[in-house]
Formats: sequence, C-alpha cells, structure tokens
Amino acid sequence: MLSCHQLTKRLASGGHELVVLDHVDLQIGRGEFAAILGPSGSGKSTLLGLLAGLDRPSSGEVHLDGERIDNLDEDALSLLRRRKVGFVFQSFQLLSNLTALENVLLPLELAGATDARVRARDLLEQVGLGERTHHYPAQLSGGEQQRVALARAFAPRPKVLFADEPTGNLDAATGARVLELIADLREREGTTLVLVTHDREVARLAHKRIHLRAGRVERIEEGALA
Amino acid sequence: MRLSLVFSAALRESRGARGRLLFFVLCLALGVAAVTGVSALVASIESVLRSQSQELLGADISVDARRPIPESIDGYFDFGEKAERVDVRELATLVAAGGKTRLVELKAIEGSFPFYGSIGLEPRGVLGALLTDSKCAVAKDMLVECDLKVGDSLKLGGAQFEIVAAVLDEPGRLDMAFTLGPRVFVSLDGLARTKLEGFGSRTRYKALYRLPRDPGERVLRAARERLDNEVDDAPYFRVESHRDAQPALRRSLERFESFLGLVALLSLVLGGTGVAQIVRAWIAARTQGVAVLRAIGFRPREVLAMYLGHVALLALVGSAIGATAGSLLPFLVPIVAPELVPDGHQILWEVAPFAKGIALGLGIALVFSVPPLIAIWRVAPVRVLRNDVEPLPAPRIVTVAAALVLAGGVFAAAFAQARDPLYAVSFTGGLAVLAGLLVLAARGLVWCASRLPREGLNPYLRHGVAALARPGIGVTGATVALGLGVLVVSSMVLIDTRLTERLRTALPPDAPSVFLLDVQPNQWDGVAAKLRGMGAPEPRSVPVLTARMSAIDGVDVKELSQKRPDDSGVGRRRWVLTREQRITWMRELTPDNKLIDGALWSDPEHLEVSLEEKFAEDLGVGLGSRIEFDVQGRRVELTVTSLRKVEWESFGINFFLVAEPGALDDAPHFRLAAARLEPEAELQLQSALADEFPNVTPIRVRPILDKILNVVSKLALGVRVLGLFTILTGLVILGGVASSTALQRSREVALLKTLGLTRLGVMRLFFVEYALVGLVAGLIGSVAGFVLSALFLERVVDTAPQLPWLALPLAALAVAILSAACGLAASTRALRSRPIESLRG
Ligand SMILES: Nc1ncnc2c1ncn2[C@@H]1O[C@H](COP(=O)(O)OP(=O)(O)OP(=O)(O)O)[C@@H](O)[C@H]1O
Ligand SMILES: [Mg+2]
Repeated sequence: MLSCHQLTKRLASGGHELVVLDHVDLQIGRGEFAAILGPSGSGKSTLLGLLAGLDRPSSGEVHLDGERIDNLDEDALSLLRRRKVGFVFQSFQLLSNLTALENVLLPLELAGATDARVRARDLLEQVGLGERTHHYPAQLSGGEQQRVALARAFAPRPKVLFADEPTGNLDAATGARVLELIADLREREGTTLVLVTHDREVARLAHKRIHLRAGRVERIEEGALA
Repeated sequence: MRLSLVFSAALRESRGARGRLLFFVLCLALGVAAVTGVSALVASIESVLRSQSQELLGADISVDARRPIPESIDGYFDFGEKAERVDVRELATLVAAGGKTRLVELKAIEGSFPFYGSIGLEPRGVLGALLTDSKCAVAKDMLVECDLKVGDSLKLGGAQFEIVAAVLDEPGRLDMAFTLGPRVFVSLDGLARTKLEGFGSRTRYKALYRLPRDPGERVLRAARERLDNEVDDAPYFRVESHRDAQPALRRSLERFESFLGLVALLSLVLGGTGVAQIVRAWIAARTQGVAVLRAIGFRPREVLAMYLGHVALLALVGSAIGATAGSLLPFLVPIVAPELVPDGHQILWEVAPFAKGIALGLGIALVFSVPPLIAIWRVAPVRVLRNDVEPLPAPRIVTVAAALVLAGGVFAAAFAQARDPLYAVSFTGGLAVLAGLLVLAARGLVWCASRLPREGLNPYLRHGVAALARPGIGVTGATVALGLGVLVVSSMVLIDTRLTERLRTALPPDAPSVFLLDVQPNQWDGVAAKLRGMGAPEPRSVPVLTARMSAIDGVDVKELSQKRPDDSGVGRRRWVLTREQRITWMRELTPDNKLIDGALWSDPEHLEVSLEEKFAEDLGVGLGSRIEFDVQGRRVELTVTSLRKVEWESFGINFFLVAEPGALDDAPHFRLAAARLEPEAELQLQSALADEFPNVTPIRVRPILDKILNVVSKLALGVRVLGLFTILTGLVILGGVASSTALQRSREVALLKTLGLTRLGVMRLFFVEYALVGLVAGLIGSVAGFVLSALFLERVVDTAPQLPWLALPLAALAVAILSAACGLAASTRALRSRPIESLRG
C-alpha cells in the first residue's frame, strides 16, 4: 500500500546542510496500522509529510497505492491527497470560520460526493458530536475539535489516514477517547493508518512500530503488543 | 470544482469579515461612484440633447442644398414605412413695409412644418394652418422696430402679404447663429407669388423627413452611403439626422465623457490598489487555512477561485453602493446647475451607467486581487505539520499571468471608459509608469529614513522616521495610493486654473471684440467711420469671397468625394471638399499667421493660394497642388505655394484659404470687418448700424467667450470633485493600513505606556508618523502633478505653465495633516490598549 525506498530529506539551515531523513526504507501493507516513534526532532513529522505527499523528498522514492508520488507536481499531489489521503494533526487544523459540519463537508464537496450532508452528519454522530454540528471550532473544546478533525479526515473514505501526534495537545483521558475513535473508524472503514506518536502505550496497538532516531530507522517491530 | 462550492466558500469566508468589508466597500464605492456618476451625467445630458435635437432640426432627417431636392431621394429614407416629407426654402431678401426697407431671412414652409417642437406665435396658433398664399408671419423684433402690427401688410418681391402673427421663437434658430436679419415666414405658394426664387437668387432648399420609427445609427449611415454612391448630385446635398444634430456639442460631450471617465477611473484604480492591500493582509492572516485546504487536496487554483469568489462578493456590495450613489448624481443637476436642464425635461434613472459601474467595480476588484492572491501558491502544504516552513516559490507562469490579468483588466476598464485603444494604452502605461515612479520614490524615502542619523532628532520625530523605515506592512502602498491621489488633484487644479485664467484673459487687449458680416465693399468706408465714431481705435476689414472647389489637380471634386471613405460618420471628410469655402486675399500675412512651408506669392507664372496646414491635411493637398474654384460660374485655378500655421486664439480674422491679391479681386464679394469696442458701445452697435447699413450683421465675441468660460469652469468643477474622490480613496487606504496593523500597534502602544508615555504622548508619536507618510505622499504627488500638468499645458494646449511656489508645499502640508488625522482615527483602538497588555505577550 505504502512504501518508501532510500527516502532522504535534506534542508539548508543557516548555511550548512541538515539531513533530516537519511535513506529510509519502509513498507506498510493495506489496512495496516503503523506507528512511527522516536524522540523529538528525529524526523517523524518529516517522514509523515513525505509519505502523505505533502512535501517532496530530496532523493528516494515513495509509492502510495501502487503509484509513485515523489516526483508528482503540486497539482497532481493535490489530487492524490484529495482522493486517497486523510489527515489528523496535533493542532487540529480546523478552519476557524467554518462550523463543525462545514469543516467535515469541505473534503466531501471537493470530491463531489452526492451524499455529502448525510455522510458528514453520520460521521459527526459517530464521533459523538451529533448535537454540535453548527458550532464553530472556537466554541468547542480541544478534544471535540480533534473529533471533528477525525470526522473530516475519514469523510471522503481515504485509503490512508496520516495522524501526527493526534493526542499531543490533549489530556490523557481525552486523548484515549480520541485514539479509541481512530481505531474504531479505521476498523470499520478498513483504512490504512500511519500514526506518529511519542506515546508507547498508543503504539502498542499498532501492527508495526517504526522507531526513528536522528533521521534513520533504528528498528521496526512487527505485531500488536496489546 | 463546482461553482456552488466557490459560492458557499465565498459566503463562509465573509463571516467575521466586518472590518475587511468596511474598507473594501469604502475603497471601491468611492471609485465606482465616480465612474458611474460620470456616465450617468453624460447619459442624462445625452437624453436632453436627443430630445432637443429633433426640435432643433424640426425633423428626424434634413437634406439641405443650394439646389432643388428631387423627390427621387425620398426612397432612401423609407425604412420599412414611408417617411413623411415637407419642403422648406430659405433666402435672404429685402422687405418693404411702412416706408422702410429691411433685409430679412425669408423662410417658406408647407403644411406640417416643423415636425418637432413648435413655433411660438402671437396670437397663438399653428403656423402651417395660418399661412395661405397671401399671409405671412414676422419676427416680433421686426414688428417693433418697423412699427408694424398684426393685420398690417408688407411687400416681398412683387407681392403683398398680410401679417397674421408675430413670431416669438423658433427652435433651431440659436442666438449664436449666423443670421442676416429677422425671420419672415410665408408658405411655399406665397414664395411662388413673390417671384424671388428665380435665377441668381441664393435660395437654400431643405427637405425635412419624419420617420415613423428610429432606424438606428447604422441603418441611417448605410442609407446615406447609398445616397452618396447612387445620386449624382449627392456631394451637394448635406444630410443631417437628429442624431448628428449639434455635432460639435456631441463631439465635445464625447470628449468630456472619455476625459472625465478616465479621471474617474483613476480613483477606481486607486481603490483597486486598496483592495490589493486588503487582500494581501487578509491572505497573510489566512496562511494556515490555505495550508489546511491544500493538505485536504485543494489545488492552488481552486483555493484562488474560492478567495476570488469572496472578493467578488465584497466587491459586489461596494460596487452596488457606489453605483447607486453615482447613478443618482444626475438628479442633483437641477439643484446645482438648473440652467443645464431645459424646462419640463424629466431626468430619468438610467440602467446602463449603473450596470457599467458595477461591472467596472467588480472587474477592478478582481484583477487587483489576483496579484496578492499569488501568495496561495507560496503556501507549502507541509505547513500543517510545522509552522516554520519556507514558502514555496510561485510558478513563473502564475506571476506572469497575474501581471497580465492586472494590466489587461486596467486596459479593458480604460477602454470601456474612453472607447479608444490609444487612450486606453496611454492610460494604462502612464499609470504603470507613475505608480512605478511613486513606488521608487517611496522606497527611496524609506531607504533614506533607515539611514538617516536619528540621534539629534526630537524623540517624536525620531520615532516617526523609524516607523517609516520599519519594513512595515503597506507603508509603501499607502504612500503610492495617496501620492497618486494628490497627483491627480494637483495636476488637475494646476491645469484648470491656468486654462481658466487664460480664457478669462483670452481676449488680448488689442483683439477685436465685434465682427461685422456682409459689409458690401462700397459700404466699408461708411461703416469704418461709424466704428471710429463709437471709439474703435483701428477697425479692419478684409475681402471675403465664397466659392466652391470644382477640381483638385484636374480631378473633379465630385469624383474625389465619392472615392473618399467617410470615416467620420457625419460626412465631414467629404463635406470639406464640397462645402462653400470662404477665401480672402492679402499682400502680406498678419502676425498671427506663420509660414511653415513654401513661400508667399513666389510663383510669377501662376495664381497662388496659401492654405492653413490642418485644412490642407483634411483636403489631402500639399505644395504644388492645383485647386480649381467655381467663382460664380467662372473657373479659377490657384496653385498652393505656401502653408501656414494660424494662431486662432488671437481672435483676429483668419482664413483657411488666402489667395494672391489680383486673382479674385474683381469677383463679387463682401467684406468682413473687425473692431474693438468697449462693452457699452457694443450694445448700441446694432441700432447704430441698422438704419444706414441694414444688411450688416454684427457678432459679439464677449458673450461667446463667456459661454465657453462657463462650460470650462463646469468641467473643471467636475474634475476637481473627481480628484477629491481619489484623495479620499487614498486616505481610506491609509486608514486601512493603519487599522490592519492595529493589533501589532496595540502591543507597541501598551509597551510605550509601560515605559511611561502618556496617551497624549503616544498620540503625538502616531501623529508624527502618519503625518510623515502624508507629507512624503503629498510632496511626491504634487511635484509629479506639477510636472504632469506642465507637460500637458506646454505640449497639448501651448500654454506656459506657472510654477506654484506656495501651492506645492501647502498641498503637501494639507495632505500630511489629513493623513495624520485619518491614521489617528483608524488607530483609536490601538491607542486605547492598556500597559498590562504588554505583559501578556
Ligand atoms: N522546514 C524546516 N526548517 C528547518 N528545520 C527543519 C524543518 N523541518 C524539519 N526541520 C528539522 O528537522 C528535524 C526533524 O524535524 P521533525 O519535525 O520531522 O521532527 P519530529 O520528530 O516530528 O519532532 P517532534 O516530535 O518535536 O514533532 C528537526 O531537527 C527540525 O528542526
Ligand atoms: Mg513532529
């Protein structure tokens, strides 16, 4: 489903070159749940961005759903993300001038879905926000915002969901609830999940744990630990 | 992407956009009001003209000639249904009544003349019905002058007529027109009885047509072209439709419209730069949202479409407000300038200017938002993962396309306003150059401000200079916008004061103030003596002969005129060939004539003529061309041996055609005389001449000049008002900049207050800062305005400019104060922030 080969990202930072990712090789199967772990600054977010087609590598290849994506141009990447990819971020990233429902509707409308409203309401129902559809992000708590973001991410039935520390800004209890929801939805929709986390507890649920250190894959653990 | 998504996104984006909406709407509404106001005014003047011109012509179409007009041409004016025709004849003749003889303009009419308007009679009545073959109607003035009354009789040619009515007024007979004497109306049968119409009389024949429906400009022109091509005598017929009645007025109206239209567009374009700044600030605040949209899968152009949709929505609001205000402007005219609106004329609300205003406002807002919206391409989608991502480079094609869209949009708007590609290009190019210069000047200033040693300065001034130097948001933009506004106003004011001043003193101290037409050669000594007696220092006169051209370089004029394409639409290019020309002769040129080519009376072999350069150009002839004239049946060929430039403003007697003395002297002619009289003497001139020289018609220059001056000052007022709009727009933009930096400023203010500065102190700081911006904009703008006006005055109207030493710095100062006030007003919120806020980060 998702793989990368010799993936490298270099950045020019203050005169000298910084190697953020160094020849990373990975394979993630269809429907799999992979967790990316590692200390702060180890390159987790960077890897996620490259795998999801948000950014382009300095060298190496990325394949998503049978398609090579590292050499696509901006427009093609947009279309790829629109059709195949969903996101959940640490800082929620809801559009502040849209209501919860409208945030969820946006990718559906973009994809031209015919049952957009039904689907959006249904998803908000599933994340327990059926009553809050007309609230703006500012009127929702952090956990609620992240649940809206989840509904938005799953709305267009992406093949792969990328989540960058989705619980990082939430307290433990709320974070646990959000994770539960992600797991449920993934199960139900059959989505491949790539999740970046600090939290070893969270990673236990994953089928595969990829440990990064200083831009390199330190080791990969297979099989759920739960 | 579906349109509905663009639309709903545009609506959603408008939430919480109140501040943006206010400035956006203000920026656009001012410009749109100006643009709409100009077209609405012109449209309503045009509707006045339209209703008047049918009356002036008395018909829809008039055909006018010095020879009878055959019925065979009627067919050319049948557009589906038959046109109604009446015939009119005019000639100057002598009338004998009450023992006196007087020259009158006789007009013979039939039945339903005039088709439009009516002739005021006393006692009231319908002219066509009153006139039988022995009845006539006579101008009231003449009745009074000759001591006649209704019921008396008078003698015209060989026949006696009874006066049945006094003529009070007649549409189409303007006070400025060339009249030989008072009007007398008879019927066509009556004219036949007088036997005046025989050989050698100078009768003008007119056929007037009333059309059941207006066939439109193009059909009319086509009919005219057919007439020209198919009828032999066509070059001698002058065809006028009510559409081209008052051609001079119409042409000046058109020029007025394109000129004022462009000035108005300037404030709209300025509003556009304001819009661009608002959009820039707005999109900067939306970077994160754009990144999210991009991450979700929106392509940059889809994000652009969404944001343009939002811009269009705001622009629609602003344009609608502006267009409403502008299109109501004509309703103010009866209050401000009642003399421009004829009695009983109803001013109507016109859709076209309103629609045009909306379209222009929308278009300008959109094209000006495209360049700042390029920022969308720069937002890297990875921003959703971390904030400090380097922006992407915008694709070259996008930046180029945006620049093209902007330039194309401004060009299209200018073309819509001026309807002339050359004007549109000059407007767009000129604007680009000016804006470029202003940007350079503003940048240079910022550069200077950042380099200036600030140590010795007063602390407030130091802060102000530092604020200018700060790589701030939009200081350059505001300076440019305000500077452009000042430029427009100052150049307009400079041009118009200089022109008005020149017109006011247009009559040079020794220029003639009256002209006398139709002085017979043997009357001149007597007339001159009379003029001297009334105080004229040196009355002058020149011989004038009227003749038509019959051939140029051996080619018959008729043939020439048929070949000549008529691109003016009113037959002017042909008319120049076939009309009656006035020719004079003199040994030496007067000082207001300058030879520019050839030499005067230099060819001993041929009879010579000297032509005015523009006239020669219109005629299509040059040195060496031979022009043959038909002088009352005799053919005289003259060779062009010199070209002249005439200083028409001198108000002397000047001619397109000056012949060599001796060539035409013995042909029947009259003299045109000119003299300088005091205004009081002028008033008595008519009666002083009437007894002895009844055929001499005096024309006074002063009232004509007054009329022109009146028109010019109205135009100037319009330009000033429009210029004011540009300054206002500039100030709104400045206010927009001030308030868009409000958040940043309020932290700064809080900090300053923590440091112990009082509120008044902070206000002084801000005052100095915005005043400096205004001062700079005012200086750059007024200097550029002076340069522009000087160029215009020297190059276009040949007038030496005067450097307004005092006005320039005063203008800059005024702008400084205005902009300080405006900046302060827009910063009130920032000024209110309390010191504690600086502690919260
Ligand atoms: N655009 C950038 N500019 C400068 N440095 C960058 C940029 N992107 C990444 N880096 C650097 O690359 C390294 C990896 O960053 P990345 O965000 O991928 O780490 P991370 O593992 O996600 O860390 P965290 O757990 O703190 O989110 C860091 O040292 C970071 O400073
Ligand atoms: Mg990270």
